Amino acid sequence: MEYISLFVKSIFVDNMIFAYFLGMCSYLAVSKNVKTANGLGIAVIFVLLCTLPLNYLLNKYVLQPGALSWLGERFAGVDLSFLSFILFIAVIAAFVQIVEMVVEKFLPALYSSLGIFLPLIAVNCAILGGSLFMQQREFLNVGEAATYALGSGIGWWLAIVALAAIREKMAYSKVPAPLKGLGITFMVVGLMGMAFMTFMGISL
Amino acid sequence: MNTNNNVYTIVYTTIIVVVAAAILAIAAMALKPKQDANIKAETISQMLTAAGFASKEDLAKQGNDQVLAMYSANIKNAFLIDAEGNKTGELETEGSIELQDNLKQENKNIASGNPSLPVYVFEKDGAEVNVIPCYGAGLWGPIWGYIAFNADCTEILGAYFDHESETPGLGAKIKDEAWFREQFKGKKVNFSKPDDAFNIVKGGAPAGDDSAVDAITGATMTCNGLDAALDTWFKAYIPFLQKKAGSAAGDACCEDGCCEEGCDHEHNHEHNHQEG
Amino acid sequence: MNEDLKKTLLNPIFKGNPITVLVLGICSSLAVTVQLKGACVMALSVIIVTGLSSFVVSLLRNSIPNRVRIIVQLVVVAMMVILVDQVLKAYAYSIDKQLSVYIGLIITNCIVMGRIEAFALGNKPIPSLLDGLANGAGYGMILIIVAFFRELLGSGTLFGLRVLPASYVPNNLVILPPMALIILGCIVWVQRSIQKDLQEK
Repeated sequence: MEYISLFVKSIFVDNMIFAYFLGMCSYLAVSKNVKTANGLGIAVIFVLLCTLPLNYLLNKYVLQPGALSWLGERFAGVDLSFLSFILFIAVIAAFVQIVEMVVEKFLPALYSSLGIFLPLIAVNCAILGGSLFMQQREFLNVGEAATYALGSGIGWWLAIVALAAIREKMAYSKVPAPLKGLGITFMVVGLMGMAFMTFMGISL
Repeated sequence: MNTNNNVYTIVYTTIIVVVAAAILAIAAMALKPKQDANIKAETISQMLTAAGFASKEDLAKQGNDQVLAMYSANIKNAFLIDAEGNKTGELETEGSIELQDNLKQENKNIASGNPSLPVYVFEKDGAEVNVIPCYGAGLWGPIWGYIAFNADCTEILGAYFDHESETPGLGAKIKDEAWFREQFKGKKVNFSKPDDAFNIVKGGAPAGDDSAVDAITGATMTCNGLDAALDTWFKAYIPFLQKKAGSAAGDACCEDGCCEEGCDHEHNHEHNHQEG
Repeated sequence: MNEDLKKTLLNPIFKGNPITVLVLGICSSLAVTVQLKGACVMALSVIIVTGLSSFVVSLLRNSIPNRVRIIVQLVVVAMMVILVDQVLKAYAYSIDKQLSVYIGLIITNCIVMGRIEAFALGNKPIPSLLDGLANGAGYGMILIIVAFFRELLGSGTLFGLRVLPASYVPNNLVILPPMALIILGCIVWVQRSIQKDLQEK
């Protein structure tokens, strides 16, 4: 039950885009049409789902104060948490690079549709943000961390596909010249965010 | 120089990572004492604010040293209690001050029935002030606070709440709005209902309810979280609070073995009488 | 040379502003714009990080192996961010608490990486430093403008001091995340009304 609650909350209430503005750069840049938006969204779900549990384990067994106690009593007092940013981003960058190489080698079809987004993802704030929120919230086990990753990934995907759909339609609207493109997109995202706020306070 | 050579790449990356890690380790070690002192002073100033020694804003303007000095000057003793309210250990109050400030861990320990809860006893104007913490989940992240009781733990003297990431202007008001924490003054923990010993009521607390305060408009989720946090922690502290209340009231009631409800009524009655 | 430097310094602040023109680095920025104080500290942190990491990467630019370029850059940026975070924790604890995870997110702020890729890799250290600082400043300026309106309308205060009379009822909507985007939209609107050449077709 708690997993479902966490899952729904991370999609709608704690939405990466609307509640935390994470991953905005690629969100705005790649939301011009639904097909590419969909590709990027799926890539984000995939990378989040793989790196967040990985970083969870890293945090639990290496970084937290006292996390190294499994190495022996002498290490119980070691606090490496100051290294967390650097290790998290290294895990993400390395993972993205490896996936890119593997996909390019073995699944060229997938690579041509998804692969181009992978380098973009290493610097997508939503991915690092997910890991940092995971660290802050102290999930109990890998399962919760993975649920959170899946939920926030889907939330991000939903947000980008929705925006892309709106922008495709908006191409036919009369928008004041100075607002065209970026300006109106900001406002549309703001309005979508307001709509998503109605999910706030939901509890399962 | 061929910078695309494999050996070069690996050596280069290793050197960069080692150098970066070394710089960071040095910085972290050099700044650690200062950071820990900040966290300690922050916790202490929350307690001092709850106990009514100073306001949080004034304490923030003073240096860490003054805050620690104020703590040492006014604290009588600090100790740990178990789930039955029995003292299990002492906390150092002078020199290197010890705090039991891992509330997150204790919150888990309360759930598993094996907590080690702190009580900080200050002395103010000749009377004891007992300060206890609480901790729970708000809308976005953890919320916590300190509640000060009078000498026999029957009446709340003050409270201070803080949060990690509640919405500014809404949930964050539990910290920012003085009227919210002022309401706690003079309230009581309802010993007869240990599962729901205190209420934060949306739409206004019913008049005459000694164990309820008004919630903040627009911050329902945060207030519900705080309400749950108070219920959990008060429940864990009730054995201790009741012992204090019982020993202060003397053999009048509880030690005769009368029921808890009766005891509570008696207290309310006394209190009303004094007021009347 | 002086003309060049001046251009490096001034261009990112208005005409080539990283947020409103290049659409870089919006991610971590808006959530800290509820209060002016937090926004100022965030702006300062970003300025320092962009400046110093551009400087360091530019120093290393001839020796970085191309294949691990991104990772080396990320390590340098992450190092700067951690240093800023540690210093804030030690000397401005209450503000660090307020900024929470967003300090860490400067690492993935596209401005930092963007300027490194676009400028620092091909230029000498000093111009790179200035370019980084100026882009950080352009970014910080937008943060501060957004925070100014959000704090003024949302709480009636500036830097925590009451500005609007107590009879002003704070507009809670402005404090919620979506309004940051709408204010940003308005800033773009104003800027593009003035600079017609930036308008999109």
